[in-house]
Amino acid sequence: MLTRLTKSGLYLAIVACFVALPGLVSAQEADNHAGHIPLISGGMGYVQNWNGGVTSLEPQINPVLLVPFGSHVLLESRVDFTGFFQHEHQTYGSFTGKVFKTVEFAQVDWLANTHAIATFGRYLLPFGIYNERLQPIWIKNLQDSPITATIGTRSGGAGTGPMARGVIVQRPSYSAQYSAYYSMPSDVEQLQSLKLAGGDGSLFWSKPRLEAGDSYQRVLQDRHINNVAAYVSWQPRDTHIDLKAEYDYSYYGNGYWLESAYLLDRPEIPALFRRIQMVGRVQQFVPLHGGGNSLPRVNQQRLDVGLNYNLRDNLRMVSSYGRSFSSTGDANVWNIGFTYRFTLPLWPERK
Amino acid sequence: MRHILLCTCLLLSCGGMLAAPSSKASGPQQAAEPSKQAADQSKQAPASSAQADRGEQVFTTNCVRCHTPPGGMPQRVTGTIVMHMRVRARLSREDEQALLRFLAP
Repeated sequence: MLTRLTKSGLYLAIVACFVALPGLVSAQEADNHAGHIPLISGGMGYVQNWNGGVTSLEPQINPVLLVPFGSHVLLESRVDFTGFFQHEHQTYGSFTGKVFKTVEFAQVDWLANTHAIATFGRYLLPFGIYNERLQPIWIKNLQDSPITATIGTRSGGAGTGPMARGVIVQRPSYSAQYSAYYSMPSDVEQLQSLKLAGGDGSLFWSKPRLEAGDSYQRVLQDRHINNVAAYVSWQPRDTHIDLKAEYDYSYYGNGYWLESAYLLDRPEIPALFRRIQMVGRVQQFVPLHGGGNSLPRVNQQRLDVGLNYNLRDNLRMVSSYGRSFSSTGDANVWNIGFTYRFTLPLWPERK
Repeated sequence: MRHILLCTCLLLSCGGMLAAPSSKASGPQQAAEPSKQAADQSKQAPASSAQADRGEQVFTTNCVRCHTPPGGMPQRVTGTIVMHMRVRARLSREDEQALLRFLAP
């Protein structure tokens, strides 16, 4: 077993190598001035949550390390540090809790060509649109995940092994994309994954900015089950409306969520209010075979409305109110906080 | 042993930094022949404009599907971020190049 000092030294050595290597590999295109410098990016934030009278304090930071090797190979990794603190005695007492650490993904991508990007390592499972695209704190319009978010994304939402993805066909009016993966089982702490295989396919119509897709996953351990998702995403042109919907099915239950967001960025609106984004989500879940497996065991419906304010393009205040309905009791859910997106180049600019 | 490993990697870091060629993205290239450069630019203007439009189209069509447009991105990291986005959004190679021309002309 490595001692703590050896581990620290190893991490430092790995970081030093990654900082060094891009300097030895040039990656320049003839018709642009884009640099391929390693960087740390990501999001951070703080959300205070009130759910049925119980207060939770949730600070979070998700740094993303991006290290390119030329313009065709990328090493990327994201780690999640989320604190979860509640009153000692649920509604009173001092706050107590812990910080949870998860390696969300750590992968090497080979951008071979338009049709094939080969990935190996720990990757986010491309199931539905929430896990891979909308989950980061600085992206999601509402801070609480949909009820069905755990369908197809068990064990940290990540798989371990190979994945292929890319564009099947691209025309001026539409394009078709795919992902296909196989995940090996892992019970290493913070790197857990299940044995499963699956894929995703979607069509995107560029003019209306409409996307429709489908995901399928087969769990190859324990109870061999199928997970299926169908999703739609639409951002009509010349508006600031964002519409998303997803239906998820699992052995343990099925449900849907519909979310709409509208940014008040119109010239007739005073500048101060143009940074406001209004959000609404409606969702429903019905358990099957008793539910469980991180899903509710009873019917559940939930309605959320949110108000976000973009102070800057990378800093926003978030707030939402939700009402949850189930046979075990209804509850009000409040969230308030802020999110921040950061970018930190790891290479100095040359004069 | 760990000290040797540390020293080796630190030396590699220093070597890498010294050996790094100056990148185009690290700052504007000093124009040794400004008149020739200006002439070349004027010839390429119509093509560059079309390329920038295509890049802007890719940007407004794809990037905003998931998040607000990132502002103030340093050019020296644009290539890296676009690579990351190409993996996440399953963009084509052509879209990637158009984006790079738009974001870091």
